[in-house]
Amino acid sequence: MPTILGELTGEEARNSTYMGLNPVVKILIPLFFSLDVLLVRNILSAASLVVLVFAVLVIAGVPMRVLRNYIILISSLSSFIVLSFVLFTNVPGKVLLECNLLTVKAEKGSLVWKVSITDEALYRAAVFILRILAMIFTATLFVATVSDRDIVQGLRDLHFPLGASVAVSLFFRGISLFLEDFRIIREAMMARGVDFEKTSLSRRFMLYANALIPLISLMVSRSYEVSLALESKGISPTTRTRRRGGAPLRKRDLSALALGVAQFLVFLRL
Amino acid sequence: MAAINVENLHWKYYASKDYALKGISLTVNKGEFVAITGPSGAGKTTLILSLTGIIPQRIPGKIRGEVKVLGRSTLTTDVTEVMRKVGVVFEDPEVQFVMGSVEDEVSLALEPLNLPSEELRRRVNQALRIAGLDESFLSRNPLQLSGGEKQRVAIASAVARQPEILILDEPTSDLDPMGKEEVIQAVENLRRETDSTIILVEQDPEIIQRFAERVVVLNNGRLVFDGEPEELYRNINHIESFSIRPPELYELSLRAGLGEPSLDRLVEMARSGMLNHEICKLPGSRGAPGGAKLQAINVTHTYSGGVRALEDVNAVFRAGELVALMGPNGSGKTTLAKILAGLLAPTSGKVLVDGVDVRALGRLELASKVGYVYQNPQHQLFCQTVFDEVAFGLRLRGAKTEEIREVVERTLRTFKLEGLEDEHPFFLSKGEKRRLALASIYALNPDILIVDEPTTGQDRAFSERLFQLLRELSLQGKGIVIITHSVELAAKYADRVVVLKKGRIIADGPPTEVLTNASVTEEAKLKTPLLSQLCKISREHP
Repeated sequence: MPTILGELTGEEARNSTYMGLNPVVKILIPLFFSLDVLLVRNILSAASLVVLVFAVLVIAGVPMRVLRNYIILISSLSSFIVLSFVLFTNVPGKVLLECNLLTVKAEKGSLVWKVSITDEALYRAAVFILRILAMIFTATLFVATVSDRDIVQGLRDLHFPLGASVAVSLFFRGISLFLEDFRIIREAMMARGVDFEKTSLSRRFMLYANALIPLISLMVSRSYEVSLALESKGISPTTRTRRRGGAPLRKRDLSALALGVAQFLVFLRL
Repeated sequence: MAAINVENLHWKYYASKDYALKGISLTVNKGEFVAITGPSGAGKTTLILSLTGIIPQRIPGKIRGEVKVLGRSTLTTDVTEVMRKVGVVFEDPEVQFVMGSVEDEVSLALEPLNLPSEELRRRVNQALRIAGLDESFLSRNPLQLSGGEKQRVAIASAVARQPEILILDEPTSDLDPMGKEEVIQAVENLRRETDSTIILVEQDPEIIQRFAERVVVLNNGRLVFDGEPEELYRNINHIESFSIRPPELYELSLRAGLGEPSLDRLVEMARSGMLNHEICKLPGSRGAPGGAKLQAINVTHTYSGGVRALEDVNAVFRAGELVALMGPNGSGKTTLAKILAGLLAPTSGKVLVDGVDVRALGRLELASKVGYVYQNPQHQLFCQTVFDEVAFGLRLRGAKTEEIREVVERTLRTFKLEGLEDEHPFFLSKGEKRRLALASIYALNPDILIVDEPTTGQDRAFSERLFQLLRELSLQGKGIVIITHSVELAAKYADRVVVLKKGRIIADGPPTEVLTNASVTEEAKLKTPLLSQLCKISREHP
């Protein structure tokens, strides 16, 4: 059964021990890491979290080329964070560099747009960047190790209602369908002569905006068909069922879960 | 006793101007096998949704009349309650799957019944057996099965709940001939092994005649016929007014001037040279097709996952020729078509358009020579009005406003879309969307038009009209390549049939030769149309 990332890109985690963990564990570990992201406040804890999640990614056998695809995203976000701390905020601290970008004189004095780089601003920017890095790694871990089936099974074992578990699973499947539709629509535009490589950015933007029409129409019709199919199986959002016993937690599941809880408690105290 | 009782049912969808169902009254007795047929948009699926209570409980609209399922009104009984006794299999099996394995998928349908584990397992295995699937399917991902297998899993999911009423909504319309046969086998098992009341919505007259004890015809929201299939199909002139077609045997017998449908008489006539020659003649006449326009030379394609879709394919497509590209699902038809249209680069080999390698042509130039029409028109319609949709490619080529207006108007007339210029493509009917998708490519005046499964899910009358239109375009000098599963339409309209199997061309020739070649039809799991058989006999006994 392919993972969510496997369906999207054909890449997925290769470590059979991690992949063989109980779906509940594979859902809870990334969940703990997501909560950690909210808890980290200093550079040490943020850096530790990044290292920890990265280590789990490596252990799970997630191909590193998947992460390479995020380099542009990570560097743009990092630049954006640094620029916003430098250009638009005035964080108190030891001033490392200061200059006036713009001075506008008015009747009641003058308005100054000042760039003030302080050690504290750089420190906060670094924490933010590390948090985002941890979030991207966590999301990658989740999509590279969890399949549609794991989601339904895992959420049901966590006592989520059947309808809700199926809806979450369908949401993730919907992403791959959406991307596939987008690829076909883009190809259909090429079939009429659009050369995306030679099209200006503004024109490309307009074409992609146009693509939203069929994408939304397909999404609506698919959702309608899926909801009819579920209703025809007697499943509605309010359907209550008696859960059959899920897969039991084995020793390695319990160990992984214990490690997950332990690291969460550590970050809670840091 | 009545399993279903529909009384003077009227239904109007919330946003619609007209009623989708107009005074339907119908009684289906327990254990009956009833087929519902009629053209696209006749109200068949709406009637099915009414029988399940989804209409009016989950879909907004206006209702008059009443539906009773096993004695309980769908107006007052909750859908989930109705569904405990009713199983439904929809047209597209993929949208019905929510779980990652066949076992989980079939079990899911049983979960709301809160059965003990042993009973649940027993029912899953029994349902799979009836659907013709063995235990090796239990762990397989339903999305990775073939079309016929997917639909059989959907049937198993419905059957596992042991419904008193089973509704099959066009279960074979999206399938290749092999998948169709698999589903037909499953329906046959169903008939034999269960005493459920079965309602089958179907376009294929051969399937209706084979299974149904009774057939109901809907047309424009009204019930226009209720009786035995035999009675319906004998009255050919009458049924053509409902836009439905009889089985091939009935149609050919009538065209041959026989009073009664008789296979023996037709064969006898073909042998004695008495078969009306019009029957074997292609619609429209012209001289020999033009020179080679499009050539695939030693084309091989392997997808990134390692799947080899095409292997050393060589094919020629000429101007003025209508070619049917056939073969089972996954045989490489769409891959070949996309490579021919330059939308996909072959791993090795090359494609020549007018003797020039497609790689040397720009996107705009290539799209003006080879047009590609997608299977699902919704993927291809992205403009705000019908006019803009047809004008899109012309504007891209910098055509002048006057020229654009003239070409668009002419194209819309050709495809019978005049008067809809300002409509949003989203709000067109299925058939109009399909024609608009064709029109938007046709307006670019390509020499070769590749059309991917244009008749999937369409009624026979529409499919005939579409093939007639494509035939006319080929007579005007266009090269037409149609990917299709319909052997009847290929036999009737194509100049040539190219059959693919596992990425290789296994046959290439006139329909009468290819479709009557037992080894080809066996290998590609194609059905030999009666028309081709008779024409072959006729040719052998001049």
